[in-house]
Amino acid sequence: MSKITKSSTAEYFAKNLQQVGFSSPLKAVLTTLKEAVDNSLDACEGAKILPELEIEVKKVGVGSTKNTDLIKIVVEDNGPGIDGDDLAKVFGEYLASSKFGRGQCSRGQQGIGISAATTWAQMTNAKGVQVISKTKNMRKAVSAQVDVDIKTNTGILRNKETLDWKKTNGTRVEFLMDGRIQLNGDGGLQTYIEGTVLVNPHLTVTYKLGDQEKATIERVSNESPAIPEATLPHPHTFKLGEFITHSHLYGKISLSKFLKTGFSRISDQSIKDFVKNGMPKALVEKQLTAMNEEDFKKVFTAVQATELMAPSTKSVLTVGEDALSKSINRLGEVDFFSVMTRKPTICDFKPVVVEVALARFINRGSEGEPVQLLRFANRVPLQFDKSGCAITWAIESVNWKSYGLSQPKDSLPQGPYVFAVSIVSPFIKFKNASKETIDASDELVEEIRRALMQAGQKLSRHIKHEMKEADLERKLAHIEQFGPILVEKLVSISGANASRKKKAEEGLRKILGRDSDDAASALEEAQNKLAAQKQREAKKLGTADEADKGSGL
Amino acid sequence: MALLKVRELKLDIPKEAKVLAERMLSDLEKSKRPYLEAVKTSLDNSNYNAKVGYLTPGDKVVRTELNVSSVQKLARVVFMLELLLRNLDIGAVNTKRELYYMCKGVIKGDSRYKPLDFEDQDESDSIIDFIGDMLEVYREELNCFANDRGGQTYSQQLVVTETLPDGDKAVVDLSTLGTTPFQPKNKPQSLKLKAKKKIDFCLVVESEGTANTLQTMGFTKRNNCILMGAQGVPSNGVRGWCKLIEAQLDVPMYFFGDLDAYTMQNIFRTLKAGSAASLIRNGDFSAPNVRFLGVLPGDVKKYDLPHYKVKESDPAEARALKKAKDALENDPFFRDKKNKDLSDILKWLIKEKVRCEQQSYFSVDPKDPIKTEKIILEKIKRGDYV
Repeated sequence: MSKITKSSTAEYFAKNLQQVGFSSPLKAVLTTLKEAVDNSLDACEGAKILPELEIEVKKVGVGSTKNTDLIKIVVEDNGPGIDGDDLAKVFGEYLASSKFGRGQCSRGQQGIGISAATTWAQMTNAKGVQVISKTKNMRKAVSAQVDVDIKTNTGILRNKETLDWKKTNGTRVEFLMDGRIQLNGDGGLQTYIEGTVLVNPHLTVTYKLGDQEKATIERVSNESPAIPEATLPHPHTFKLGEFITHSHLYGKISLSKFLKTGFSRISDQSIKDFVKNGMPKALVEKQLTAMNEEDFKKVFTAVQATELMAPSTKSVLTVGEDALSKSINRLGEVDFFSVMTRKPTICDFKPVVVEVALARFINRGSEGEPVQLLRFANRVPLQFDKSGCAITWAIESVNWKSYGLSQPKDSLPQGPYVFAVSIVSPFIKFKNASKETIDASDELVEEIRRALMQAGQKLSRHIKHEMKEADLERKLAHIEQFGPILVEKLVSISGANASRKKKAEEGLRKILGRDSDDAASALEEAQNKLAAQKQREAKKLGTADEADKGSGL
Repeated sequence: MALLKVRELKLDIPKEAKVLAERMLSDLEKSKRPYLEAVKTSLDNSNYNAKVGYLTPGDKVVRTELNVSSVQKLARVVFMLELLLRNLDIGAVNTKRELYYMCKGVIKGDSRYKPLDFEDQDESDSIIDFIGDMLEVYREELNCFANDRGGQTYSQQLVVTETLPDGDKAVVDLSTLGTTPFQPKNKPQSLKLKAKKKIDFCLVVESEGTANTLQTMGFTKRNNCILMGAQGVPSNGVRGWCKLIEAQLDVPMYFFGDLDAYTMQNIFRTLKAGSAASLIRNGDFSAPNVRFLGVLPGDVKKYDLPHYKVKESDPAEARALKKAKDALENDPFFRDKKNKDLSDILKWLIKEKVRCEQQSYFSVDPKDPIKTEKIILEKIKRGDYV
């Protein structure tokens, strides 16, 4: 018999980096950048600091593996900083997270991402991550290289030293790794930055990607998002195994106490209901540690069979229509846009909120191409495998033709639009550990679909206005083109003289003039509706005066 | 060169067109919206009276009034009308496709007409059809003809005398044509039919190939009959020819085709009572006495004929079934109690969801090359038709 060995978590991930976003040189660069930025933003929000990020991604040489470049990725923030003692844990140890299973809408959840990036750098360039960090309490900043000890899943600090740093607090990470740079398209770095900027109105970012010029995008909101309190899980979201594992966290307490403190929405009354629904009464005050699997199964079945209040929606946070409206203008010259923030709701027993921004940009995209889709989960852009994602499914299920967009069957609509859809929830169900697609449940797809349709209605006012304008033009052109031919041929068939021809032409102009007047007044009506909407949007943006001018058209 | 007429038309087309143009022009002068009206050629405007025997138009009209959206259509109608009037004037004839290209030629020669340009033939065809329905004249009366298709006819008894435009007469004795069939024209011809010897019946076979097989195996030698291949949905030529046979020779006519919803509605109904699209011309283009010989639902069982389940996943077959249901509710032909036996076949087809092809008779006795002929004759003799 072969010997059974046990491998460390780090060993597992080192062998399976493709599962966490390192499946190609392109993705390695994007995932590393993403993990570093996620951590910075989460840290800033946790400390109520308005984030200021500096990002640099550039090619510095030839990669050690075939067909790759050596890429330098630097992310520097003004966050609270990390104590020297914690550096090894944060960057070099898997599943060392301050956020795991906590039920908060933070970007990071498990504590895998940045350690995986360190591993990738280490595997391809023999060096982990170079970190500089300083908290307010530290006199000098600490600088070190962090490697992952794969065998033991622990971080190792190398070349640790202290130094004077320009910042009072913050963290700078620098990775050197094999990879390749792609700027545009679904998996592009530029797309990532834009997405991040869109859903983080409070972010100021300076970035230099590849050979591009350095650019800065300023924040449009001075409010750091208030991260809602963590929420306890709802029992109906659990499976039996999870339920038992969850109980192990609570040690030696009674079952009733475990149910009431370990979950949300369980009261004394619910416990009574559980008993009614088949939970043995003897178990209520039994110690968890004394319960066997059979007991747990009985409890679990009773809990599932009992109706409970839906979970609270307080634990979700939104970007907000106002902030989203302002933020969208940071991506380029917007022709028009529409934003929609749904009220938090419950899908599959998990609180969730959906936000949608639809915008048409001048100089971006074209008529025959599908719209550019930006997907977000907990304010992190999702850039791969869009076809399997709940967001994509929801968009494809909407009939965009009724809002004036062209749409091939069962596909994304087409046109020079950006569709941004953001899902925020403390418990987002991803299809994979690299968090690229949201699992599509019917309830979630329906909720996203509703948000899209509401945003679509707003958008259609802009489009309809344009269509009416085109309609008037077309009608006027029609009259000029066909009117004279009609008269000419009637004159020719009937054998009428020139004076009758002239009179008929005048009559024709009168008749068709009335029609074009109708089209003109339809246009005016559309204009008024649109102006009213623009007013409302302008109020949100706080630029009412400018919009007044704009709506004059 | 004047063509012979398919019917005595009381209407003087050029004069009628002039009156129409005059009326529209005068409306325009008064700043009134001119309009055009045409018979509505659809099922909801079709009447059926078993005594008349074919679908006739109701009172509904399609009215196109001048406005910014319709100005293009009206301009196209008068443009095409002028072209057709010129053809009538000089005695020129054309097909729809030729007219399509003639329009293109005129438009190419004068940039003012460019907006009228037709993108494809469907657009110009619909204008030509509209003019026919508007003046209530046949397309052929506007000197516009489709190409000849179907109707290949064999007989040892039939003699056709054609009066040519110059007054000459051409006599065609079908028995002298050898293996060559007589081909009726999609043009009105002045034809006089005569039977050298009493003709017992006329058989119209849906499949051209099967008609040919019957002929080759000696069908017309053994029977005093007229044998015709319809080649699917009957063309105007076939429809007019059947009408002519029915009108001039008092012989029973039988149709032999597939047992499916499409054949029943699109082929047999059109042959017998015309179609909704050709409401104004059904009188001269339908043979109300034609009977459906088979394949009948009873034959499937009786002769144990191979048949197939209709695949509802096949869009064409699913559409035919849906149309059949619709026909039972809305088609005055199938709703008339005189045609109950035919609508019963449709009901049977909808219920059983099967189809059986005419060629399945060849399965009954594969060793006997004339078994199909025998079955057909047996059915006629027994009165086994609908």
